[in-house]
Amino acid sequence: MDLQNQQRVKDAAEKFGPENVVVVLGSSDPEGAEIYAETVTNGDPTFAGPLAGVSLGLAVYHVFEQEIKEEADPSIWEEQIGMMEMVLDTEALAEAVKKIREQYSKYSL
Amino acid sequence: MGKLAGKKLILLGERDGVAGPAMEESLKNSGADIVFSVTECFV
Repeated sequence: MDLQNQQRVKDAAEKFGPENVVVVLGSSDPEGAEIYAETVTNGDPTFAGPLAGVSLGLAVYHVFEQEIKEEADPSIWEEQIGMMEMVLDTEALAEAVKKIREQYSKYSL
Repeated sequence: MGKLAGKKLILLGERDGVAGPAMEESLKNSGADIVFSVTECFV
């Protein structure tokens, strides 16, 4: 994950409390989604950024997971996300993020 | 109001997946505050 974004995630967790922060991913491939999810839960796996060695344990979801989709406005979802939902492997993406969440998140919805 | 009400959302979009603004639009009425939204791209 971009180093600047890692810092912003870290700052938000400090400011609002990690229990109040929810990270939603729009990643296109399961491997990338896993790296993002791991970064905001267990720390930066590449040990390059501000989250290296920092286990925030944030609640993290892919946007295609039911917990998030059911909170979205259905007509806007259709217009903004519907096409990508048809193109991408939503099940694999949801499963990849869920696996990391179950392993490292201290919080969930 | 659902599960996201009162939460602080960080939206990490991707250019080849779902972009930040698309998630922002879809979730703006969820009762959560959007802290920031970005769209990263892999090169």
